[in-house]
Amino acid sequence: MNGPTNPRTRLTWSLIFIVGALTVFPVLMLVLGSFSEGLTAFGHFTTDKYVAAYTDPAFFEVIANTAIFVLGTSLLSTVLALFLAYLNTRTDIPFKGLFRVISIVPMMIPHLLFAVSWALLLNPSNGLVNLALKQAFGLDEAPFNIYSLWGMILVEGLLELPIAYLIVAPAMASFDVALEESSRVCGAGTWRTLLRVTLPVLRPAILAAFTLGIVRSLASFAVPAMIGMPGRVQVLATHLYTMISTGFATDYGKAAAVGMSVLVASVTLIVVYRALTAESEKFVTVSSRGFRPTLIELGRARLPLFGLVGLLSLALIVLPVAVLLYTSFVPYSMVPSSRAFSLMSLRHWAAVLEDPISLLALKNSLFLAVVGATLGVMLSVFVAYVIVKVKSRAAGLLESLSYLSFSFPGIVIGVGFMWFFVQTPLYATIWALLLGYIATYLPYGIRPMASAFVQIHGHLEESSLVCGASPLTTMRRIIVPLLIPGIVSGWILLASMFVRELTLSVVLSRPGTEVLAVQILRFSEDGLWGRLSALGIVMIFISTTLVVLATVVGNRFKAA
Amino acid sequence: MKKLLVASLFILGAAQAQAQNQLQDMVQLNKARAEGKAAFYANITAVEPIIKAFTADTGVTGEYTRISTSKFVATAITEFEAGKLQADVVQAPLPVLDLLKEKGVLASYRSPAAAGYPEWTRKDEQVQIFGIEYVGLIYNKELVKPADVPKRYEDLTLPKWKDKIVMANPANHPTTISWLVGLKENIFKTEPEWRDFLKGLAANKPMFVASFGPTPAPVESGEKLIAISMPKYIVTKAPAPLDWARLSQPLMGSPRAIAVAAKAPHPAAARAFVDYWLSQKSMEILAKDVGEYVLAPGIYPPIDGIKDAKVIAIRELSDDEIQKWGAEFKKIFDVK
Repeated sequence: MNGPTNPRTRLTWSLIFIVGALTVFPVLMLVLGSFSEGLTAFGHFTTDKYVAAYTDPAFFEVIANTAIFVLGTSLLSTVLALFLAYLNTRTDIPFKGLFRVISIVPMMIPHLLFAVSWALLLNPSNGLVNLALKQAFGLDEAPFNIYSLWGMILVEGLLELPIAYLIVAPAMASFDVALEESSRVCGAGTWRTLLRVTLPVLRPAILAAFTLGIVRSLASFAVPAMIGMPGRVQVLATHLYTMISTGFATDYGKAAAVGMSVLVASVTLIVVYRALTAESEKFVTVSSRGFRPTLIELGRARLPLFGLVGLLSLALIVLPVAVLLYTSFVPYSMVPSSRAFSLMSLRHWAAVLEDPISLLALKNSLFLAVVGATLGVMLSVFVAYVIVKVKSRAAGLLESLSYLSFSFPGIVIGVGFMWFFVQTPLYATIWALLLGYIATYLPYGIRPMASAFVQIHGHLEESSLVCGASPLTTMRRIIVPLLIPGIVSGWILLASMFVRELTLSVVLSRPGTEVLAVQILRFSEDGLWGRLSALGIVMIFISTTLVVLATVVGNRFKAA
Repeated sequence: MKKLLVASLFILGAAQAQAQNQLQDMVQLNKARAEGKAAFYANITAVEPIIKAFTADTGVTGEYTRISTSKFVATAITEFEAGKLQADVVQAPLPVLDLLKEKGVLASYRSPAAAGYPEWTRKDEQVQIFGIEYVGLIYNKELVKPADVPKRYEDLTLPKWKDKIVMANPANHPTTISWLVGLKENIFKTEPEWRDFLKGLAANKPMFVASFGPTPAPVESGEKLIAISMPKYIVTKAPAPLDWARLSQPLMGSPRAIAVAAKAPHPAAARAFVDYWLSQKSMEILAKDVGEYVLAPGIYPPIDGIKDAKVIAIRELSDDEIQKWGAEFKKIFDVK
């Protein structure tokens, strides 16, 4: 059954070809660049760039800071995601629909703005929270300093939370509560059941969220730049930025040499993740033998827990969005005061909505989000299927390939794509952006679906095949309907990511293919925070609309 | 009678030459129109009004691609080597254009529109300097008392500015690195004096940001009081309460330059664009709308007192020098 004629083997190799074509070439260009003299991908062979990059005395401090930053961030986001997902999907906590949406909103806020909002709240000079606490308790010094490693972990952790949530929540939603009931029947309490049954069964999703969190925070730039740099905390992303911005003849090959270690770390993480979830049969909870998610009654804890989630939502959504709204109305950066409110106007909004480039960027980003996310999800369903259900070495190769572009620091991978696309007729077209987006963010589509696939028992598929259905029909009629939560999550993740994608766009976007995030970056480079906030709110509005639409469509499919 | 004849012949000759020039200009412009567009690569703020005016006045579509300085050389060279350079005209800090010139990316062109510019701005056959990216001290005029405004660069080392300064990261921001070196070469009499200044500035713990762009916001909001930044923000960020310190010493900055690309896809349109860019009309837009310090004679940004300021172009540092000084400043300013 494992020969080349086996449909699963054929599918696996077809996907390796497609995903490989999308992800290998830009990375290959960067590998070439890292071993080439000069500033492009093609030059005489040299190892000088590796020697220079790895003998930099600052490198080891950077690595230590980076390790604390990424582990802290991933831990925070995964724990918060578990907490939210558990309450939302498994308990009778009130206003659930609202909570599902608000736990996704931070993903739509441009990271740059999110970081700036928190700086406005917690900077030690005149951060609003610090000022309030100083006044309330008569303190001489500000109690919080956001410009620190903990500040970076807090802000990045909150930003990574939606991704972790979208991976954990579908797995939590398809959890077979009979396992918990059995545990209770055997005398275990709620906590023991949670620790000994619920969390271990959710291990693939938790590890996926944690792994993705590490990889994402390794590539993150906005928080290290806006919060780490003023606090003089250098992590890998800002180290790379320093490397490419010191001087005018930017050597991306040297930055790629550093990026290789991130790539190796990411691939190692994937291998470890595969090893830890190898016996995925253990985690199957949706089988053909009946499945019904039931709700846990919170009783007296209902309102306090709701209050806690409300507080988290305040920190995640209300404060940053309020800061954005406020900044879009005041004429310049001002601390809130009666004078600031009296000076409010719509001038930044008018400037943005009358700007033809901003409007074109809006159209292009919407196209890339809808078309890109749909194509990305279609590809992800097949890739996730192979990764989870075809346990071959080729499947492992496919998984590693899907992470290839994603694992490279964003600041460098864009140049890899430019070096690649310039050799093709796609250069400077919207299709280069579309392909680059799908290639880079494929794991966002794959992970939620893989978590859902892990929990669907092979019996369902086998029964369909035994009854004479083809693999494609089995996929369409049996598997996909069970995957709806994963598909919706994947689509939302991809679409929201594409609406605010910056790292590739900043290199590949040209006149006529402008996108929202690049336009926002321009406003940021010019210090035009009012316009930036107005366009950021437009961006959030678009993403929210897409999320709501995707959720409604997903619910209809489920109902059907 | 003879004199009258000579004068008439001279006037006739001049008129003929003028007519010939106009005819040539027309021919060039028609060629540019036939090419359809001029693609412009740069990293400069809010130049859309110039692009719009160029399109309206010449009938050639101006197309602006903004590429950040850190990606400028990589993008231009990658496209050039692949035979796909999309730019007809490139504009950047002078060291960037020098790098592109070394790689053969620039074509020779002397624009007649630059005739009135100072002689030193015509660096060679390829590159024309048109402005200075001037750096100064901008402060919050609502929070800093007039008596406290610095009068000299050295005043930034006074303890009253501790935790009150914001600046671009001196370890990697090329313009800031060049500016700090410019202080040594143009302002301070001796190197020890300059080093004392650096140490004093570092002791005041300035907050570092990635570039000049994010420097005004903390000053506007009062998070910091003063920035080593660009006075042009007084124009672009109006009505923010920003003003610039009128120092007794000169202001300094890196030269900004423009050139036509070799193998430009639209060469006639490229030349028409450079001519237009260097014209009085464009330079006035650049100064008035964007607050840029331009070198077209008699044109100044609408910033009170800037007309009387002495603004000098600093020496362009090589990449090796920028790396070397960046590493030195990293130690002095304790940048982690």
